[in-house]
Parts: sequence; structure tokens; C-alpha cells
Amino acid sequence: MSNKMIIIDDKSNIFNTDGCFYKEFPSDLRQVRYFTLLIVQKAPPEIKELNLLEQQISELIKNAVKHGNKCDLNKKVKIWYFFSKEEARIIVEDEGKGFLKIREWNEFNKKRLQCLHEENFEELGNYVSYRTPESDDRDGGNAMFAALEYWNNGLVFTEKANKIGVSKKFPKNQRGIDIN
Amino acid sequence: MELKIRKSSNIYIIDIQGEMDLYNSYKLKDLVMKMLEKKVTKFIINLDKVEYIDSSGIGALIYICSTIKKMNLQLLVTNVHGSVKKVIELTKLMGYFPMAATVNDAIKNL
Repeated sequence: MSNKMIIIDDKSNIFNTDGCFYKEFPSDLRQVRYFTLLIVQKAPPEIKELNLLEQQISELIKNAVKHGNKCDLNKKVKIWYFFSKEEARIIVEDEGKGFLKIREWNEFNKKRLQCLHEENFEELGNYVSYRTPESDDRDGGNAMFAALEYWNNGLVFTEKANKIGVSKKFPKNQRGIDIN
Repeated sequence: MELKIRKSSNIYIIDIQGEMDLYNSYKLKDLVMKMLEKKVTKFIINLDKVEYIDSSGIGALIYICSTIKKMNLQLLVTNVHGSVKKVIELTKLMGYFPMAATVNDAIKNL
């Protein structure tokens, strides 16, 4: 059974911004996909498989704009990003009070993975969407489940939890066939 | 995102075209809720022409699917492929949504 979880670690290597590009945006929900495209255009085509990289980065920016900065146009979202053929790494920081329910979310996700492991689809119905009193009708409540799968090299928050860092490693292309 | 409804006997097919993202996905939810008010009991949601889906789109599908399950009505999601399939796989919900390969298969099974 998968035991992936969100890590809290201010000192994680994922937060290292050496060699990263940097952009900052106002917290305008209407422009989240546009901002995302500005970031993703730096990525080599090899790692943009089926728009997945774009989709996953868009979720991180949306969370920062909506849940972090509550769409306050005076608040900024700061983004550091690094792309190569082997890795995508993004750090997104907002000016909000942080994702304070990480431990609760990890517990929720553990139960979700347990249901999946047992193929208990009846019970899984209670764990398909993570909601808080602040969630609204347009929140899917599933973005972080997918994020944890996609960002296979780590998904880390700072202790203050208004800054997330994620990393994905891509398999190196096989350039030839080994012959003994 | 464009939504079109067609009918095959008492089955209603919703063809979705375009992007099911944070700006659009609520429209599908609203449409299905209106159809439920009108006592539609059998649904097919055809994702064949969906080019992009995000967590809001997946969220809309989860909401629709759980509502229809609770009401003991019938739903099949069809033509799940490409990036839509990848995103559903990331959320591990391939087994949660009732699926059929094509609209014709779904019609036979409803």
C-alpha cells in the first residue's frame, strides 16, 4: 500500500532556489492558467506529457491564489521553478496564513489509500474529496491527492505552511539497447 | 467548454467538448442537477472531446457520480483516454467512476 504523505520540512533540498527562474503574480484567479503557461513554457517538451505538467502546476498556483491569498489582488504569489529533461521542481509561496491542516489531510489520505488498497469503493465514497469549512462548490478537494502521486520526488511544506515545494523526476530516455 | 445533450430512448447523453477546468466545470454540475430535477434517470457523460481536465473537473465528476449513486440512478462515463485518463489515474479513481469504453457500449449496458 502506498504510504506517500505531505512532508513538513523547512530545510528540504526542494526549497533550494539555486539556478531557478523566478516570477511573481497578483492573486487573480481568472489568470491562473495564463500564469501557469508563462511558467511551463520554460519546460523542455519531453516533460510536458499530455499537459500533465501544466495541469499540476496550475493546481499549485490556484491553491496559493485562492486558499492562501483568498484572491486578494494586493497579495502576491511567488514562484521559483527549474526544469530539465530529468526533473521539474517548483516552489510556490503565498502571503496567507498557511495550510494548517496538513496532519489532518495526511490522516484523511491514509484512510483513502486504505480504502483503495482494500478495493472498498463503498467506503471510498467518504474519502474522494477533502473538504474544510472554507471549501466551496468549485473546490474539487482532490488536487493534493493527484499532486502527491505526480510529484514523485517529494511534496514539502514549510512549517508556516504558506510555501510548498514539489519535485518530479522523469526517467532518462533509453538511447540504445545494451548488448552483453 | 461546450456541453451538448442528445437522447437515446430514455438515456441522456452529455457530450463534453473542450476544457474541464476551474473556470468551466461547475457548468456540468449545474446541468446534471437540472436534469435530475426533470427526473432524468439514466446518464452517459462522454469525455471523448475533453482536451484538459483539472481537479475542479474531477471534482465535478465526483459530485455528479456520488449524487447519482445516492439516488440509485444510473450513470456511465465514456471515452476516458489521453490526459483525462492520466489525471483520473493520478487520483486513483479509475475504479470509482462507472465507465464504459464507448457511448454505444454504455447504451447497451444501461
